[in-house]
Amino acid sequence: MGKVITVTSGKGGVGKSTSLANISCALAEEGKKVLAIDFDIGLRNLDMILGLENRIIYDVIDVMEGRANLSQATISFKKNRNLSFLAASQNVDKEVLSLRKVKKLINELKDIYDYILIDSPAGIESGFEHAMVLADIALVVVNPEISSIRDADKIIGVIDSKSEKAKNNEEVQKFLLINRYRQDMAMRDESLNIQDIVDILSIDLIGIAPEEDKLISYTNSGLPVFYDKKTNLSHAYERIAKRLINSETLASNDYSKLLNEDGFFKKLFNKFAYYKMA
Amino acid sequence: MNIKKLLNLFAKEEDTSKAKAKDRLTLILAHERTSNIEFIDDLKKDIMEVVQKYIKEPKDVKFKTSENRDISALEVEIKI
Repeated sequence: MGKVITVTSGKGGVGKSTSLANISCALAEEGKKVLAIDFDIGLRNLDMILGLENRIIYDVIDVMEGRANLSQATISFKKNRNLSFLAASQNVDKEVLSLRKVKKLINELKDIYDYILIDSPAGIESGFEHAMVLADIALVVVNPEISSIRDADKIIGVIDSKSEKAKNNEEVQKFLLINRYRQDMAMRDESLNIQDIVDILSIDLIGIAPEEDKLISYTNSGLPVFYDKKTNLSHAYERIAKRLINSETLASNDYSKLLNEDGFFKKLFNKFAYYKMA
Repeated sequence: MNIKKLLNLFAKEEDTSKAKAKDRLTLILAHERTSNIEFIDDLKKDIMEVVQKYIKEPKDVKFKTSENRDISALEVEIKI
């Protein structure tokens, strides 16, 4: 039975689709069979990050309405055939998705794939409910910045009310991913640090994706940054994928010792240790 | 830049950008988490009805909601 991971955020633009695309690649590289689905109906995003926008013929609505079958609609990723992609509909009418059809599709997918990663639309409207209804894991993406954290808190508060699992008294695992983190700013107390964010939101931390200047040029060329092993970000995604597979999270003592240390060498060491860990 | 760094060493913890962010977030979230509870308004109305059974014109009834991690609280202060 495959696991459903819904990637969500509350606020838009925090790097939900980028995180999803790269974690999907990392899971595929670990040998898992992965499907990335874009549920952001009307506002496609994931296709361009994966570089698959020119290969879309059918979308998720076509599959749900029976106009195409799964093998016709899923697009396999060139770099790794373990990863497939199912596009969002360009149809602007979001209401076309019915909860019953969404559930039927996801249940079918769970028999085929090890991991199904759903890109949830921003906000808390009906699209969010569709993306969340069968989630085993909700992966909440935040930036170390107040409006993103505030909206994430709201999202965390409504996850259970949208989830089938929670209705059956089972737990939806909620994991935090801190994206675009800048350790240098955190060390100068110019930005919230990892500990602050985890304390405020009080959910388990799955990983930290550091800010990466090269990201934009990779997105521009349609290649996930995960494939640039020279970036710290790529290794961060690899560790996140491994933690997801092993159901592990980052414990507080993994990162607390990296903070509030004085002295140049300690700071230098911390910066190094941070990149090894994040 | 270096002078700024030196000054930062002497700055109080509360003055840092991080501390401000943390304070403001903690406050607004404590408020928003309790206002998320759907029945809170109905609860307030019911409490007022009970109070009115005993006091004809209750002027001094104060409601205060607060949240700390897993505990949400509604404080009601009634002056008789």
